[in-house]
Amino acid sequence: MVDHPGSGRFPVTRLSAIIGTSSPNPEERRRAFEALVSAYWMPVYKYIRIKWNKPTEDARDLTQGFFAEAIEKNFFARFDPSKAKFRTFLRTCLDGFVANENKAAGRIKRGGGATILSLDFDGAEQQLRIAAPPAANQTDEYFEKEWARSVFSLALESFRAQMLAAGKQTHLRLFERYAINAEEEEKPSYKDLASEFDLSVTDVTNYLALARREFRRIVLEKLRELTATDEEYRREARALLGVDLNGLAV
Amino acid sequence: MDWLSDKAVYRLREEADLPDLGGSKYMVLHKLGSGGMGAVYLAQDVDLGRKVAVKVMNIADSTGALASRMMREARIVALLEHPSIVPIHDVGVLEDGRVYYAMKLVQGARLDQFASGAPLDLLRIFQKICEAVAFAHARGVIHRDLKPENIMVGPFGEVLVMDWGVAKVLGEGEGESPRGPGKAGIELQGFDDADLTATLPLASGRESGDTSSGMVIGTPAYMPPEQALGKIELLDPRSDVYALGAVLYFLLTGRAPFDSTPTADAVRESTRKPPPRPRQINSSIPRAIEAMCLKAMSERRADRYASAEEVTIDVIKFLDGQPVSAYQENVFEKAGRWLGRNRFIVLLILTYLIARLVVFFSMGR
Amino acid sequence: MSKPVLGLLLGGVLGIVDGLSAWFTPAVRAQLAGIVVGSTIKGLIAGILIGVFAKKFNSLPLGIVFGLAVGLLLAFLVAFLQKGYYFEIMLPGAILGLVVGFATQKYGRPAVQTAAANR
Repeated sequence: MVDHPGSGRFPVTRLSAIIGTSSPNPEERRRAFEALVSAYWMPVYKYIRIKWNKPTEDARDLTQGFFAEAIEKNFFARFDPSKAKFRTFLRTCLDGFVANENKAAGRIKRGGGATILSLDFDGAEQQLRIAAPPAANQTDEYFEKEWARSVFSLALESFRAQMLAAGKQTHLRLFERYAINAEEEEKPSYKDLASEFDLSVTDVTNYLALARREFRRIVLEKLRELTATDEEYRREARALLGVDLNGLAV
Repeated sequence: MDWLSDKAVYRLREEADLPDLGGSKYMVLHKLGSGGMGAVYLAQDVDLGRKVAVKVMNIADSTGALASRMMREARIVALLEHPSIVPIHDVGVLEDGRVYYAMKLVQGARLDQFASGAPLDLLRIFQKICEAVAFAHARGVIHRDLKPENIMVGPFGEVLVMDWGVAKVLGEGEGESPRGPGKAGIELQGFDDADLTATLPLASGRESGDTSSGMVIGTPAYMPPEQALGKIELLDPRSDVYALGAVLYFLLTGRAPFDSTPTADAVRESTRKPPPRPRQINSSIPRAIEAMCLKAMSERRADRYASAEEVTIDVIKFLDGQPVSAYQENVFEKAGRWLGRNRFIVLLILTYLIARLVVFFSMGR
Repeated sequence: MSKPVLGLLLGGVLGIVDGLSAWFTPAVRAQLAGIVVGSTIKGLIAGILIGVFAKKFNSLPLGIVFGLAVGLLLAFLVAFLQKGYYFEIMLPGAILGLVVGFATQKYGRPAVQTAAANR
């Protein structure tokens, strides 16, 4: 991870969680795994359910088991960013893990007896019920999509916490109304928002601009955490946000 | 963790994608579209309180070549002060290193989406396009990517030629990298056309033609043969004339002269197979206009109009009821045109003749 | 050319043509020469009058009305002298007056330009 001089606008650059999994410091290792698991457990679970067609209970156990083994054997240390994206690597490991479990005469390995994190499997299951399942040959794209959803969800959570801590409730509500909660096809106009929130249009413009900036920063921060190198980070930023940050100060 | 719907994720993505114009006096409102080397956003000029369009670079630029390209584009357009060329208000660099420029927000329809109008109205629009291009040529700038998608028609019939991203200043960068004042009189960093081949892609995938033999800049559907074959060094004002002819073709027939699929073979194919004549598609098109269109779109540069100004002159002549240089009228057509211009006199003469007949018959009784 | 000159020329030419058309009426064919001369003179006078009017007054409707009036009046005088053929002379005469009135308003160099050119 490169410290960017002059990037005073950005908070302390987060270490890549992937690198962090190999840290000698156990606390750092724990944090790193936590970050990775919180970002990936949902896509992994859904992927196992959809692609491997495992029933709910098995999928849960496999998800926990996979991460447990990942931590135990430190899969992630083997990751070589020059060869593939981390996600592809993880998916390959996952496929390998599930295949092995299938072979081991149906015996599902449990994660050392302890769950790593309390993961909301019920919530995930509910989402699966609501959304239409992908086509059989599109499970890879599905995984990508779920990962993006995961990243944005985590970013949003963090964003909410930070805005509330900074006393910017209005900014937050405006942003959510504009970007998330709109049921209509079209985004509400600034004028509509101004009357809805009893603000001037200028205020709406300013608040949204600030909120947007903060949100973007948090998304990029999360992204940096989930990538191993600058190169990978830029690639992911482009994939996620449609903007190539190659050579830029971000 | 709250579950985000697909739509919510999409929207959040859009929001996060918006460029941070924090260091400038512009506040981004939302994305308008993408094209050229960057995306265009609707923004608010905080100081002046007006809405502008801000184009922000969004393509890989490890060498910084694209940043200077965009700067160059902004400078070229800023030079071309003409009612039909979109004015540039401001240019700068964002905090994240991307180049942006702010320009007048154009309200209106793109020419390719413009509802078709009466032929004369379309011709008047075309006249304004030619005038803008002629002006640019007079200042030593060729556009090189003229097409209906790059032309806007405003609510009051005003016409704006946009996207000068691949424009070339004549007398510069012809096999070398001269520095110093370009023909336009200001100092533009010498830009070798070789830079165009090195940087990929210049436009978003759907716009640029990717050929294996050299880079093709511009849009295959409207580009002259020399451009389609990647012979960038041959491009001169007559290349723009060709594109103008292609735009006229589009206005007359409602379709582009060539297929726009940018495969290498299709591009080469398009240079050999001429498009159907406009009158084959729409027989009501006057022969003189068809002739103008085909002259502008001649395969050989020497057969085309020498400049956009010559095209303009012919268009004005046609609108005035005068003969055009591209078309040799026969006697009947000349008479017909004269009659069209002088309908009232003809009517009077006919009345006189009828009166004479009436007199003749009344005297015969 | 200036409007009076245009009026003169046009009036004269139309006068000749109008006079020659009398050939189609056998009853007056014998007097063709006289008719042509008279018609030409009528045309020249009408032409110059209308042309001068057009130079002074730049108005298409007025020019047409004036031309019509002059054409009618002169044609009436001719018919009066002939003591007959009022309809046969005045109708074409009026129309030709109208034509000259229109043409001198629409074409010919306007007064301002002529003055400038003569400076």
